[in-house]
Amino acid sequence: MSNRTEFLDSIRHRTQAGRYKPTKAPDSAWTRTPERPFATPPIEDPTARFLEELEALGGHGKRVEDMDEAREHILALAKEREAKLLVRWDVDELEELSADEPLSEAGTEVAIWRDLEDFRDVAAKADIGLSTAEWAIAETGSLVLEGGVGKGRTVTLLPPTYIAVVPVDRLLRTTTEAFGKYGGGNLPANLCFHTGPSRSGDIEMSLAIGVHGPGDVHVLLVG
Amino acid sequence: MKAALFIPCYVDAMYPEVGVGVVRTLRNLGVDIVYPEGQTCCGQPAFNSGFFEESRSVAKHFMDVFEKEREKEGFDYIVCPSGSCATMASHYYPFIFKDLPDERERSEELGHKVREFSDFLVNVLGVGDVGAKMSGKAVFHTGCHQRRELGILNEPRELLESVGGLELLEWENEELCCGFGGTFSVKMPEVSTAMADEKIDALEKSGADTLVSCDSSCLMHLAGRMKRRQTGTRVMHLAEVLDPGNPVNGKVG
Amino acid sequence: MTTNKPALKRDTVDHRKEGVESKVEGFNDRARKAVKDRELHDSVSLFVNKTLTGRQANLAALPEAPELREKAYHIKQKTMANLDTYLDQMADAVESRGGNVHFASTGEDVVRYIGELAKRRGSKVLAKSKSMATEEIELNRHLEEDYADLALDIVETDLGEWIAQLAGDHPSHIVGPILHMNKKRIADVLSETAGEELPPDVKALAGFARQRLREKFLSADIGISGANFGVAESGTICMVTNEGNGRLVTSVPPVHVVVMGIEKLVPKFEDLSVFTQLLARNGTGQKLTVYTNFITGPRGEGELDGAEEFHLILMDNGRSKLLGTEFEEALYCIRCGSCLNVCPVYRQTGGHAYGSTYSGPIGAVITPLLKGDKEAKDLPHASSLCAACTETCPVGIPLHELLLKLRNRQVDEGLAGKAQEMVFKGFEKTMTSPKLLNISTKAGRVAQKPMTKNGSLRPMPGPLSGWTDTRDLPPLAEKSFREMWREGI
Repeated sequence: MSNRTEFLDSIRHRTQAGRYKPTKAPDSAWTRTPERPFATPPIEDPTARFLEELEALGGHGKRVEDMDEAREHILALAKEREAKLLVRWDVDELEELSADEPLSEAGTEVAIWRDLEDFRDVAAKADIGLSTAEWAIAETGSLVLEGGVGKGRTVTLLPPTYIAVVPVDRLLRTTTEAFGKYGGGNLPANLCFHTGPSRSGDIEMSLAIGVHGPGDVHVLLVG
Repeated sequence: MKAALFIPCYVDAMYPEVGVGVVRTLRNLGVDIVYPEGQTCCGQPAFNSGFFEESRSVAKHFMDVFEKEREKEGFDYIVCPSGSCATMASHYYPFIFKDLPDERERSEELGHKVREFSDFLVNVLGVGDVGAKMSGKAVFHTGCHQRRELGILNEPRELLESVGGLELLEWENEELCCGFGGTFSVKMPEVSTAMADEKIDALEKSGADTLVSCDSSCLMHLAGRMKRRQTGTRVMHLAEVLDPGNPVNGKVG
Repeated sequence: MTTNKPALKRDTVDHRKEGVESKVEGFNDRARKAVKDRELHDSVSLFVNKTLTGRQANLAALPEAPELREKAYHIKQKTMANLDTYLDQMADAVESRGGNVHFASTGEDVVRYIGELAKRRGSKVLAKSKSMATEEIELNRHLEEDYADLALDIVETDLGEWIAQLAGDHPSHIVGPILHMNKKRIADVLSETAGEELPPDVKALAGFARQRLREKFLSADIGISGANFGVAESGTICMVTNEGNGRLVTSVPPVHVVVMGIEKLVPKFEDLSVFTQLLARNGTGQKLTVYTNFITGPRGEGELDGAEEFHLILMDNGRSKLLGTEFEEALYCIRCGSCLNVCPVYRQTGGHAYGSTYSGPIGAVITPLLKGDKEAKDLPHASSLCAACTETCPVGIPLHELLLKLRNRQVDEGLAGKAQEMVFKGFEKTMTSPKLLNISTKAGRVAQKPMTKNGSLRPMPGPLSGWTDTRDLPPLAEKSFREMWREGI
């Protein structure tokens, strides 16, 4: 592509000729106050920290014993939200949850993220989106969502209520650790660090929840 | 201890009592003072306006004068009652002489000797209490150069807190610039004045009767606006507060 | 049902049609008006004070912030020094994942590429996620004008950007585009769109926006976004949004076009650990933005959503000429907006006074650099040089020093004006001669006598009137310090 060669040549010419050396680079000593510690204290109890961070963002987190308890929780939530349609990822964890049948018996139809004619019909109509997460981050209350076959992006995005069921052993302590999981840049087509309910402060800095994404976010840590 | 005085041009011409305060305070602490009479200005007005060439001439003059004095008198430090001018001489000379190796070396050498007044008292002399007394409630305004380039934040407060009879108050948004900014105050007067007004509003809210700073330029700006607004707050440079010969000093009512 | 069309108090001028270009010269004129606008002042204070409080709290909880800052600076420095290599790597990576890459030297290139794409695909609805790069080139206006025959429906989907678009207004802050509007004004704007009166209530207004924009997302043919970062090693685009519109724009429409400035690159994915944290904590006072989204090429085999077609436009538009110069550091900016929030000038004037896409200290630096000194003569002077910007910048850009260098460049280019040149020649002469200074001081003392009243100088003519119109000026002292010294202290 000639456009590319020409473009890069003009930049190469500038990066190589007469490089400017700044008079001073930022120096951490400059902004550091002596009494400040050098690093964040390690997170002692990741589960507690995760739940605390999520709550602070307006999300809801709960540690549950096993998949049975998680299922009960989801059933209760679906009932409370009077959900007609729930859309879920097509993954092993959610098969293990075996919530599909009890949900439809209770009046919530379940759509599984496979063989859909147009995903919009399902994702945009669903009252609840249900997924698992590759990782969760204690430091920030975030979920690490990988896109892929059976793992729709819009499942976690279009329905007003979003529930994630995450095995507790996937809980990482820090954001840095989470980035480390993808070191070398071997990434799926989509990866998302999802941190709490959708929000906006655009109107007079007053918090509006659930602007485009879900405002009602629940994370169940299992195990 | 021997110190050379660097009295900024506008202090020399408009606020000589600040220089006098420095002399009396330091002498009282046993510092031997010399004053190189050839000094003029640090060159900052030209520098801030982008006239680097002109500011380099003035900076060279400054270095000539103080280097000569040093050969003659052998002082240890250069003391300046202005955080802003001290910053020019210590931080920005190396900046404007970046491409002139000789001058850059000279400016760095000399720059290490330049100390703002409160910095000199507390960090060089180790004096946090000069024994001054004055009644009143004061707030302190840290000039931006002093705050962000020199990092001299606690020193003036320490000195003020130990002034007998003087109460040091906190005020809102202390870290905001007063809006002087050298030629900025004349080039963009409306914005500059609005900035001063925000400071003065905070000052009035604080309940202080005295405004103290280590920069007479900020004080000139705020006092000029206060006078126009008919705000009756007393305005003093730190050197005046500490000055053992100041008539208000010692009178604790 | 009868629709109650509300009476609109706002001016109906569509400022977007006027464009932002070449209006940059009059900062001072605009600022003069802006400082008198109390409503604006209150809106700006509300935003910056709240943001700063959040920022402070979050940075206090991150003791290693200064180290992160140093790290960020060095990553950017390394990136710029080898930008050609990283761009090449990025392009290869995107192509290997099935994406298209286009190199755009100018804004026009970007407009043409997207316009032709829309034409080829017969697209109608273009949903956009907040992007400063597309604001910079005024993509919407140019697409609407240059491709009028396509009758494109271009919709901003960030709540603030959408409201600004409906109001015919330019964003006034990198992060808070409509911080200059109060709730009532916003209710007026949205009521007109709704065709019924909406209450000035945040929940109701946001709810209306959700419903209306949802339709747009679902019917959009092309999603257009910017990029907060691009990862060279993997060809990944990182976009952060709090509302989720960024994730929607890139997940729902069949085509996703990214317009990314070439300076947004980082070499490695793990570098983003530093940048995403700095951006969130400094920009909005969060630990992490709600949706920190990473997109690598089009959707994979067997995936049901995500764009089928992925286009990355790498835009120069004046950036590369800063590489290797003393202004290169301006390219390190991650657009967090914190220099605006701490700037005492921005605090008084708001963003529109800058007359540029980028306002505040970074705007005052980057606008003349991208558009030329003549286009933005006032901007490098729109600062008291207090250095709060430099202190706060999460990637360590010495903003106030860049402003000084820009002022110097104006002088070198002869843009400072004859009057100023004379003043500083005189200054140089006087201040290199103690004798001359002495004479001037004495002359001044004589001259000021008839002009002094109540301890202040009377209002002065000429440039000094800038001072004396609003502030008193003390006269020269009867005796200078130097005279007192000679007499003995």
